[in-house]
Amino acid sequence: MNWLPYGPNAWLLRFAEVVGDDAFFLARSIETEITRRPPPGLIEYVPGFTSMLFEFDPQQSGIEEEVLPELLQRFSFGMVAKISTSPVHEIPVIYDGPDLGRVAELNELSVEEVIEMHSSHLYRVYLLGFSPGFPYLGDLDPRLHAARLPSPRLKVPGGSVAIGGEHTGIYTVDSPGGWNVIGRALLRIFDANAVDEDSPSRSMFRLKPGDRVRFVPEKKE
Amino acid sequence: MTLEFFEVEAVGLGATLQDRGRRGWRRFGVPPGGAMDDHAAAWANRLLDNPSDAGVLELLLQGAQVRALADGWVAITGADANLGLPMWQPVHVERGDLLEFSHNLCGVWAYIAVEGGFEGRRWLGSVSGYSRARLGHHCEEGEILHRAHAAAFQMPPSVANRWVETNERRNYRIPPVLRVWRGPQWELFPAAAREAFFEQEWTVSGQSDRVGYRLAGEPVTGAVPEIISEPVRVGTIQVPESGQPVVTMRDGPTVGGYPKLGLLDSADISWLAQCRPGQKVRFRPHEAGSEL
Repeated sequence: MNWLPYGPNAWLLRFAEVVGDDAFFLARSIETEITRRPPPGLIEYVPGFTSMLFEFDPQQSGIEEEVLPELLQRFSFGMVAKISTSPVHEIPVIYDGPDLGRVAELNELSVEEVIEMHSSHLYRVYLLGFSPGFPYLGDLDPRLHAARLPSPRLKVPGGSVAIGGEHTGIYTVDSPGGWNVIGRALLRIFDANAVDEDSPSRSMFRLKPGDRVRFVPEKKE
Repeated sequence: MTLEFFEVEAVGLGATLQDRGRRGWRRFGVPPGGAMDDHAAAWANRLLDNPSDAGVLELLLQGAQVRALADGWVAITGADANLGLPMWQPVHVERGDLLEFSHNLCGVWAYIAVEGGFEGRRWLGSVSGYSRARLGHHCEEGEILHRAHAAAFQMPPSVANRWVETNERRNYRIPPVLRVWRGPQWELFPAAAREAFFEQEWTVSGQSDRVGYRLAGEPVTGAVPEIISEPVRVGTIQVPESGQPVVTMRDGPTVGGYPKLGLLDSADISWLAQCRPGQKVRFRPHEAGSEL
């Protein structure tokens, strides 16, 4: 685990070399630790798969000398608890996306097999990124990996369930995108207009890093 | 309480309200947003004694037309779009006046501040229009823009004025050499590639917007093609396999999978933002960011 400088007042914590179980649970432990006891001057943190960005108040002194080394000590958990009690979200999906056939062809599978394999796994939310609330879901069956489209679509509708390389995810808003669209989620995971003064994040963003997701195939209406 | 102030008769190439953006939401995938040229936007507000986080109208290049629905003070800064009104100083407009940003002469983003600041659709504490998700305040043709009801800005017209010091009124045709801090993958780039980046003159590509500015030139090669996606700061210089760098701007994605050569100094992001497609720009290592 080490700190990489990332411009004034910011450092990237590199905590793993590969994406997987170890990185996932370590990230959750680090997040829990800084949420429970935020370091002095921390303004914002942004989790990645194997790294986490920390931005500090420019007025805060002693970050490099004291705060960062102390954080490294706090993050050297003897053993990371892998028993997850994080919520499981079941998301109904109609599998009728324009790239369903492409994903099947690339992996020499039938469309039915793609649907079966995609919906039989419990995915982890590694991070939210790209656009508001867009979950990067990990541990996609390697037999479903599919390269991004040669040229991105100008508009992918919000709600599209898609595969990009080794990840699967859900577009949350209409946006340009290069992932293979395989279906439509019938449950909104991002609602920009949700109003909950106490916890805007809970009402707006259904998924959080650490949560788990299962896709439930639905019949076409 | 708000007051009607402008009618948007034409949005031109793009019109949004912007302020200093929304902080603290990047871990939910929400970019910070905010005025592309925060230097010009801040001066527009400062000229009218507005709070620094007051909303301003941000206009892209040209084509926008707004009509005053009331008398009041405005300040216009940033790109020069042949408006025919003095810029970088408070200007008193009268009901019925038409402000026409007819033809872009230099710079990319123009700003109008109004006394009290513009009020608009807020999202996560900010009016900043976020194009990718159509959140925050995007201006529509025919829309009425409101300003906050604040104590009237006091200055006798045509008698006295205040203006922005000459050295703060930027000439966007001649940007300085922009300062770059080391990025997390600095070491992954061969020394020759880093030198090539700093030694050449880059051309700002037409494929540039609030999400990112693309640079065209001799490709920067030799780094790994992709890395595991990791968090991205505004101003980050990412180098995809093509070797043509992309600078992440204020509406850019919060994570990215290309190696990061460096980070544009936050004070210089506004300079790059005002570079028009085809304009040349150069970079240098930040003094405190150490040598090549």
